[in-house]
Amino acid sequence: MTGIFPWLILFLPLLAAAGITLFALDHRAVSARLSIGAVVISFALSVALFVHGTRGETRFNWISLSDGAASWIVDIGLRLDPLSLMMLLVVTGVGSAIHIYSYGYMHDDPGVGRYFAGLSLFTFSMLGIVLATNFLMLFIFWELVGVSSWLLIGFWFERPAAADAAKKAFLTNRVGDFGFLLGIILVWAVLGTMDFGQLQKMMAANPALIGNSTIGIAGFLIFCGAAGKSAQFPLHVWLPDAMEGPTPVSALIHAATMVAAGVYMLCRVHFMLAADALEFIAWIGGITALLAALMAIQQNDIKRILAYSTLSQLGYMVMTVGLSGVGGNPSAAMFHLTTHAFFKALLFLGAGSVILALHHEQDIWKMGGLSKKMPVTFWTFMIATLALCGVPPFSGFFSKDEILATAQRTSPALFALGVAVAGLTTFYMFRLIFVAFTGPVKSQLPDHAHESPAVITLPLVALAVPSLLAGFWGIDRFYASQFGTGEAEAATGWVAQLTAPFAHAPGAAFGGLAAVVIGFLAAFALYWNKVQDPLPAMLGVVARWLRDRFYFDELYAKLIAATQDALATLADFVDRWLIAGLFVKGTHGSVELTGRLLRLVQTGNLQTYSLMFVAGVAVLLLFMLIR
Amino acid sequence: MNDLLVMGLEAAVLVAGLAVLLLDLWTPPAEKRNLGYAAAIAVGAILLASFAIVLPRPLAAFGGMFVLDEFALFFDRFFLLAALLVLVISVEFADRFETGVAEFYALILFALAGMMFAASANDFTLLFVSLELITVTFYVLTSFQRRQTQSLEAGVKYLILGALSSAFLVYGIALIYGTAGTMSFTRLAEAAPAVLDSRLLQTGLLLVLVGLGFKIAVVPFQIWAPDVYQGAPTPATAFLAVGSKAAGFVLLLRVLFTAVPALGPRWSRLLIVLSAVTILYGVLCAIPQRNLKRLMGYSSIANAGFLLLGVATLSRDGVSAVLYYLGGYLFTVLGAFAVICVALRHTEGEDIPALAGLHQRSPLLAATLAMAMVSLAGVPPLAGFFGKFLLLKSALMVAGDQPALYVLVAVAVVGVVISLYYYFGVIRAMYWPAEPVEQGHLPPIQLSRPLRWSLLLCIAGMLWLGVLPGMVVNLANLAAQTLLP
Repeated sequence: MTGIFPWLILFLPLLAAAGITLFALDHRAVSARLSIGAVVISFALSVALFVHGTRGETRFNWISLSDGAASWIVDIGLRLDPLSLMMLLVVTGVGSAIHIYSYGYMHDDPGVGRYFAGLSLFTFSMLGIVLATNFLMLFIFWELVGVSSWLLIGFWFERPAAADAAKKAFLTNRVGDFGFLLGIILVWAVLGTMDFGQLQKMMAANPALIGNSTIGIAGFLIFCGAAGKSAQFPLHVWLPDAMEGPTPVSALIHAATMVAAGVYMLCRVHFMLAADALEFIAWIGGITALLAALMAIQQNDIKRILAYSTLSQLGYMVMTVGLSGVGGNPSAAMFHLTTHAFFKALLFLGAGSVILALHHEQDIWKMGGLSKKMPVTFWTFMIATLALCGVPPFSGFFSKDEILATAQRTSPALFALGVAVAGLTTFYMFRLIFVAFTGPVKSQLPDHAHESPAVITLPLVALAVPSLLAGFWGIDRFYASQFGTGEAEAATGWVAQLTAPFAHAPGAAFGGLAAVVIGFLAAFALYWNKVQDPLPAMLGVVARWLRDRFYFDELYAKLIAATQDALATLADFVDRWLIAGLFVKGTHGSVELTGRLLRLVQTGNLQTYSLMFVAGVAVLLLFMLIR
Repeated sequence: MNDLLVMGLEAAVLVAGLAVLLLDLWTPPAEKRNLGYAAAIAVGAILLASFAIVLPRPLAAFGGMFVLDEFALFFDRFFLLAALLVLVISVEFADRFETGVAEFYALILFALAGMMFAASANDFTLLFVSLELITVTFYVLTSFQRRQTQSLEAGVKYLILGALSSAFLVYGIALIYGTAGTMSFTRLAEAAPAVLDSRLLQTGLLLVLVGLGFKIAVVPFQIWAPDVYQGAPTPATAFLAVGSKAAGFVLLLRVLFTAVPALGPRWSRLLIVLSAVTILYGVLCAIPQRNLKRLMGYSSIANAGFLLLGVATLSRDGVSAVLYYLGGYLFTVLGAFAVICVALRHTEGEDIPALAGLHQRSPLLAATLAMAMVSLAGVPPLAGFFGKFLLLKSALMVAGDQPALYVLVAVAVVGVVISLYYYFGVIRAMYWPAEPVEQGHLPPIQLSRPLRWSLLLCIAGMLWLGVLPGMVVNLANLAAQTLLP
């Protein structure tokens, strides 16, 4: 009976998307119900699978061509293991909250039907990534996620900024995906299969394979795909711009799920990543975490602060995957991915609630004093902030602590970097809280603000629960069972669980806590009751660098423009003279001419036809019989 | 008696055809049109019944003249499905015939019977008889609108050129019988190598190829196709494009692989050349066409070339690819002709620009035609793509032994690229016309329910064969195996 569940989970959102597109684009309520219904049912079925403890694969043969010796078989299959089961819960669970929230947030938008169709299409694609059993399937859904992300970032396509952001996100992702596809082809060419299960068996049977340089290169190329989707340096530039999409989209796609796909994929194929590739991945992750945290310090747009924070946390996760080592256990990355999905979605939804109350004002320096006007939003936002900063007993504390503990064991440099990022995280998050929610009111807008309706606050509360408690649920041990190391023994009782990190890796736990305290104190000193940002005056040019994101966008723009100009000049020549002149005009001309000449054959005259027929017979006989 | 049981499917179709003629006597004139649905239901029932047939080994009847094997069964189902859809299209077209609607349906059924006999033919006698049954029926079908000069002209052209090709065919069969002393495919295959070397026998076989080439519309015997496609009533054109062409291929495959397998290698160069020339002729001539049905005529020539490519590989994979390609071709072409049949009566003229704004008048019609064009152009994920993929793959697999196939594959790819131009021209004409049509001038087109279902069936077929090719590939492999064990 449960065999059909994974298929239902996967395809219900697709059905909803198709149904909305075909029949309910103009029906606000119907489209919302279809979309929300699909994801909620998927969530319920995921819970059922989780409780039932289903494991294994269900698959059917999609394309199977055998040429005797070589056979080409592509399966479509769904894979259920601890990794995918937990991700199912995250995607459908957080997704459900955000779908419901969307109904409130997008209520007055004329394009609600299109919005929900896109959201359902995204859910389908993301679930496909989670459940995929082979690289080909993963890649197809990977691109589908890219497409649905493009649709949703550019949802308000009449705004040039949104349309540009959508294009930027799609193209940047394509750069990474190009490498990803090359990596997949390389794996297939060398190992002859794209199936994860078979690959893993192959690797286990022949450990020398992992030292194979071709597999090593494939690992790097596959990481390119992850770097694109998870917005890792140097492909991180699209994520902040993606905030042009509706806020629930930012919460679901660009904070909780899609951007986590890269990390998920790295964990899925962790068994075939070589030591070099892992070290490279760790450093890319670390650099991303630090750069993004620094950039977040000087942002003034509430969503952009959160976007950079997402980048930074994704860097953490990628770093952890890299640090876990060959044959190691990257479950800390997945643990942080899970808790991060809860509290970052909550932060975005809280930000959305504020933005809605302030009539789409996003500048934190025009807010202030919102904690009294919007108590539910404020307190849930506060919970998420504390979780993000890693304050015990919030969920983020446990997951971040595991990351720092991993770093402490393996790489002192990255451990120091991780602690610094933890401090910066607390600093920029409390800067946001002090400026936007407390202190003096900085414009007229907050005076008229009031708490959002229940359809918006209920999802906030629903997400606040796991943000607060998820650290106690044993998610890390569940993930660890995937990688078969089972090192973390279960601590029982709330207090024991809370103190376990301090006993287990005291350096990491206390280091992280110290960073939080320092970051908080710095934010308090600088931003409590302030109406202006004091930092630019103190740091001068550095602050401008931070605010302008180290000029990566400008650099890329310049670089791309220069390359493009050079290429364009060349292409112009090729196009004008070779392609348009010789090939197109030449080919088109000659093809067209041949076509017209051949048309003359078709005279419509029966006598001519008969003559040609007989002539044809004669030619045929001559061709075959006269040698 | 046992012999009659083996050809039960054909007999059932003939009985249905006669029943339609008889029922016509008691049907009031206003209801005659709906006899088409009755015929379609009968064909559908026979199609369903064909899936009940289990063949542990091939059956033969009439002294081996008629065989029922998986290969024949594959084509029987193919022809039945094609006839089913053509009958539904015919009902849409029926009010344009002044008289004889029921005869039109009955003739389709007789042609269908001819095609099914062709699928089972294992003897030059049955080959000739079944071909003539098809051809003679089509003489009438093409000129059915007998007060329209276009239709009459098409009928006359088809009649005279058809008679010419039949003459060559009979002459060829006579030469074969004269040298080999047998009409049976099986016994010819057992003939001594010396017999096969005889020029006379080879001439005979080449003349048989001429007769089949005419049905298939392969260069240099393609000349009739555009004129007849354009002039004939649309349902007749549709059946001509799918059924008659497939009947030519089933006989060609039987002759090549059952009757004279030893001669295959000698013929491969000829087949390669014919295939290449046919593809190029079809796609090049299609470019300047403005008439939609004429365009489909040239498209059908080009497709004959692609199918011949699979035959030219002389391999089991190639035959299997041909069968698969025909399956996709059925849904694609019948979908297109169904749209053409309905849409053209609501537009002025049959030119492609007349399709402007079709997507506003009937989204389903426009979507079906657009998908058919995309599939014909060989774009994934539709049936045409996978069919072309299998054909080219089968050619590349054996190209090591016959390097000319590399050239043929290159020609085919060039042909596909050129064909994109005119196929997408049709789509552009529907959705983005050069001269935008004003909203008010486009009354919506109402579709009858059976037609709607037929269109959806064609769309589903195109998607099914393109996305989940497994089942049909297996069926095609099974059929190809009986031919090339």
